Amino acid sequence: MNSLTVYLVVGAVLFSLGLFGVLMRRNLIGMLISIELMLNGANLNFMAFNRFLAPEPAVGQIVTLFVMGIAAAEAAIGLSIILALFRYLHSINVERARRLEG
Amino acid sequence: MMWFAKDPVLMAASACATLPFLAMAVILIFTRQHRRVSAAISLSAITMCLLSAVYLLMTLRHAPGPVQYQWAWIISSDMIIPFGFLLDRLSLLMLTIVAVIAFLVQVYSLGYMAGDPGFSRYYAFQSLFAWAMMTMVIAPGMLQLYIFWELVGLASYLLIGFYYEKWSASQAGKKAFVMTRLGDIGFFLGIIAVLLGFGDLGILSMNEAAQAHKIAPFVVTLSSLLIFCGVVGKSAQFPLLTWLPDAMEGPTPVSALLHSATMVAAGVYMMSRIFPFFAASPDAMAVALAIGTITMLLASTMAMVTHDIKQVWAYSTVSQLGFMVMALASGGYFAGVFHLTTHAGFKALLFLCSGIFIHEFHTNDMREIGRGGGRKLTIPMVCMTVGALALAGIFPLSGFFSKEAIMGVLAGNPNKIWLLAGLLGALMTAYYSFRLIFMILFPREQTHGAEAHGSHGHDDHGHEEGHHGATFWAMAWPVMILAGITLVLGFFQKELEHYLLGAGPALHGAEAHGEGAGHGLGHYVLLFSAVSLALGGIVWAWFEFGRKKATQEGFLRRYPKVEALFANRWYMDHFYRWLVDYVVYCGFTNLFTRNDRRVIDGGIDGICRFTVGSGRVASFLQSGMLQYNLVLMVAGAGALVLFFVL
Repeated sequence: MNSLTVYLVVGAVLFSLGLFGVLMRRNLIGMLISIELMLNGANLNFMAFNRFLAPEPAVGQIVTLFVMGIAAAEAAIGLSIILALFRYLHSINVERARRLEG
Repeated sequence: MMWFAKDPVLMAASACATLPFLAMAVILIFTRQHRRVSAAISLSAITMCLLSAVYLLMTLRHAPGPVQYQWAWIISSDMIIPFGFLLDRLSLLMLTIVAVIAFLVQVYSLGYMAGDPGFSRYYAFQSLFAWAMMTMVIAPGMLQLYIFWELVGLASYLLIGFYYEKWSASQAGKKAFVMTRLGDIGFFLGIIAVLLGFGDLGILSMNEAAQAHKIAPFVVTLSSLLIFCGVVGKSAQFPLLTWLPDAMEGPTPVSALLHSATMVAAGVYMMSRIFPFFAASPDAMAVALAIGTITMLLASTMAMVTHDIKQVWAYSTVSQLGFMVMALASGGYFAGVFHLTTHAGFKALLFLCSGIFIHEFHTNDMREIGRGGGRKLTIPMVCMTVGALALAGIFPLSGFFSKEAIMGVLAGNPNKIWLLAGLLGALMTAYYSFRLIFMILFPREQTHGAEAHGSHGHDDHGHEEGHHGATFWAMAWPVMILAGITLVLGFFQKELEHYLLGAGPALHGAEAHGEGAGHGLGHYVLLFSAVSLALGGIVWAWFEFGRKKATQEGFLRRYPKVEALFANRWYMDHFYRWLVDYVVYCGFTNLFTRNDRRVIDGGIDGICRFTVGSGRVASFLQSGMLQYNLVLMVAGAGALVLFFVL
């Protein structure tokens, strides 16, 4: 088992845990944290490929930095949406937000 | 415009075809409030038309052939539909008749309609009527004829329903329009049949081609029969004859116009217009002959029992129209047209005279007019007697000559039953017209019932007595002129015959057949029998209504069932009511309503219900749970990845 495979497996595990969290958590904050986990799994993949396969070692790092920046912005926006929803529903349980039921 | 002014014939024809319409438009748009101005406009338009018509008749009297101005209106490969004027002997004669009668009626209306709130409207419609009829008369093609034929129908609808506040009047107008439309459907189909089978709607070319057997016989028969449907509707032939007696609801001068020169005459005129075309189909002629005979006899029986003075003349119009159709259908082109001419004169006379009585006594019932002193109105009484004598066919009045011509034609027919029917019709005509005359001349006291009605009539009479001013003379002059025409017109038979048939060699063949048999010894026997039958009818009427001891009940009173049959118009209206109720309302309407409710509404509702229902089913997927959506999204993405990778 070479080292690239190890990194990839760890990244996949991180991503799957995040996905599981997004799908299963009813708490909106928990879902947001799970999304961060998924992003980090993806970042780990970028760095691993960058380290072992890429001819130009800088590209993967730049992408990872971008993803981190976007993740920060996303967290800010997601938290403000959650805050607005909490003011409206007095709850951050996603099951309460069912106004779109057909 | 120079070419226009250079041709006075064209100018005169265009005047007839435009001026009354302009008069109508001006009256309706500008001068509705000013009744004198309206009457002046309408009268000057019709006077111009009368002068133009007389000028045309005089100028083109000796013209070798028909003068035709036409502009192709629709051309599509082989199909040509012209629009314009056709001035030949027949159309000029008819144009003059229409102009004369329309002019006299409009003068008469000055008196009759004086003080009516709808005076301007009345004159506008009169102009429309005259315009439509005159332009129809000089139409060179069947389509133009049809268009103005319908306009004639429209104008008569407007005039019959002139007192539209009255329920029965508006109903009568509607009935006239719908019943004539029924025939016109056939007419239009006939025009289409000609167009498909021949391709040209010009009257002259149709007549020539049919005479030369250039059109397939079945096309001629089919289109003749279909076009004859139009004649049946317009000229009130059996089975569409019941609208004409109801058309009495309009003002009396309108009835005079409608019964003599326009509307009902339009049917017979159209038949004589394409007479060679008709004559080319013996089957169509036989059908027309039968229908004319039935109409003539039915209407005569109806006239024998009614007490409404206008209705008697209405039924007599129907039966005289039957005579004309019989004459035309047995090949007597001249006899039919001649009777149309004389009938226009004396029928207008009869109606205008009755109009004076009605204006004076405010009732249509001849018994009440008699009791109110109808015999004291000397001028209309004498003139009406003249008209009735002409209607009965007594020498030397115009009706005598034309009726003899028809009898001569009928005698030429190998089947003598038509002649017998004609003679029977002549007997009944004399009977019912003199029944009316004697009832007014020799009034009897009230026998039973209707007491209140009678006194009402007397009241009105007293009220109107000193009313013999300009109004009366405006009505009396046209009546006297018409009486004069009725007296002398018959003596111009030879001239008219020469004039009408002079240039039409195609017509001679058909004519010789009818006329040849009529001459000679048989002719005098026929003459004698017809006149003696007419006199017999008058004597019969005298016996029952005139003489001192007469009961004025009529022999039919002894057969109440027959009388009821006649008085109810052979239950034709009941039959139509039944037909409309059970076949149209219960049958078609019901079926269509069901179709609408069940099939069309049901179908649309079904589609809606399906859409709503399927939406409801699909909406179970939309739970509103964010994470279900996410699961589905992930599953979809996973499926896509699997699909592309594997």
